[in-house]
Amino acid sequence: MTSNSGTPPALQAERVWFAYRNRDWVLRDVSLSIPPGQHTVIMGPSGIGKTTLLRVLAGILKPDEGRVAVFGAPTSGFGQRRLSSLIGYIPQQLGLVRSLSALDNVLMGALGRIGDGKALLGLFPRTETDRAEAALDMMGIAHKRFEQVFRLSGGERQRVAIARTLLQHPRIVIADEFASDLDLALASDILARIRRAADQENITFVMSMHRLGLARQFGDDILALKDGQIVPGYIGNKMRESSRGEASL
Amino acid sequence: MKASLILPATTGVFLLAVLAHLGFFDLERLARGVRNLGILGSEMLPPDVGILPTVGAALWETVEMSFAGTLLGFLASLPLSVLGTRRLFSSWISSFARFVAAGIRTVPVLLWAIIFVILVGLGPLAGTLGIAAYTVGYLAKIYADLFEGTDPEIIEAVQSTGASKLQLVRFVIVPEAANAILAQVLFMLEYNIRASSVLGFVGAGGLGFVIQIYLQSLDYQRLATILLLVLVIVLIMDGLSAWLRKHYLLAAQVS
Repeated sequence: MTSNSGTPPALQAERVWFAYRNRDWVLRDVSLSIPPGQHTVIMGPSGIGKTTLLRVLAGILKPDEGRVAVFGAPTSGFGQRRLSSLIGYIPQQLGLVRSLSALDNVLMGALGRIGDGKALLGLFPRTETDRAEAALDMMGIAHKRFEQVFRLSGGERQRVAIARTLLQHPRIVIADEFASDLDLALASDILARIRRAADQENITFVMSMHRLGLARQFGDDILALKDGQIVPGYIGNKMRESSRGEASL
Repeated sequence: MKASLILPATTGVFLLAVLAHLGFFDLERLARGVRNLGILGSEMLPPDVGILPTVGAALWETVEMSFAGTLLGFLASLPLSVLGTRRLFSSWISSFARFVAAGIRTVPVLLWAIIFVILVGLGPLAGTLGIAAYTVGYLAKIYADLFEGTDPEIIEAVQSTGASKLQLVRFVIVPEAANAILAQVLFMLEYNIRASSVLGFVGAGGLGFVIQIYLQSLDYQRLATILLLVLVIVLIMDGLSAWLRKHYLLAAQVS
């Protein structure tokens, strides 16, 4: 499947089925196609399988049936380093190392490009430290780069997590319930910064969310997940146009 | 009988039977023990501090043995515990590493000292190696369990940046467990100071040799001095670890 212009979609799922061991299907025949550079929000009530879908798309979980492809190439054949050069993943709790500084956490985004020896000694090339500082600056948190993460507020941690993913230089970023715990103004500010950064580097963004107002503000497209399936036309652009204010699904 | 009472009742009956078998209800013997305690106490007082210059070297040797043994054991336990972390390695590798650690831990430190006396001869070298061996077995198990408890989300997030296993250990697993790693080393150091003071019983250096001589010659005043010395060293170690904890442990690591 290709988009109208003939280029393959950035991220594509074809008839994906997934179940955790001996449990019911969480994803049933999910297909979706996300064009390059698009910001897609996946919505749905909690426990519906949004996290599972994102983890399958990010290549962390292998689908039981069906396939996931990145820019036309199936991810099943990718090694971890190849995958990490294409996809950055931010889990719901952000996955930051709390005892390390914001800068150290951001530098972890460069680990896929650095040899074990240098990394073990904590010797990152100057270019990487400069880029890490630039990423923190772009997220408006450069002044806290030496603070340990456990001393940072929720919003500051979100910025650090995004900066780490930006340093990874992925073509696609997948974020689970990003900015969900923040108040609306702060969440809007962070999402606007992400939007700028992503547009600048032509990054395709996929994010799960449960606040419709934010989803409308951030997403070019909104997909709804229900009963393990993407519901066609359930929200889509139509609902985006008709909905007003901060609603919740 | 209520089901919830079965376990406590059985445990209580078993405890009484065991205590009887061990002689805890032999009142005459216990009374004799109390009388002897008085006699021993009086024979220990006042401690003979005249031996301090003589036992100084043995005391220092004990401190050296426990310090070097703990650190060597700590360093060797890190790779073993990483290999024993199921989240990082296949169950074959991690089970083997855990089996090695369990095997080392099964042998008490005194027996390790005897083994090393046989291997490298009498003296503090054998004692240090014995302490290091026991420390490896203990810390490798504790650390492997700790590493396994690392928040899987953090591992997943950093793994998705393309980090290798070694990089995960360096940037996620060790920093996340840093508090507990330090606390356990300090605990082990205190334990080893006490343990190493008896290793001399088997010729593995340190204070134990002197303790044995005074015990055999019923020289309790001098023995009392040695026990007080061990107490002082343990108290100093306590103070040192309290200071280290205060300055190096993170105040609040939970989010």
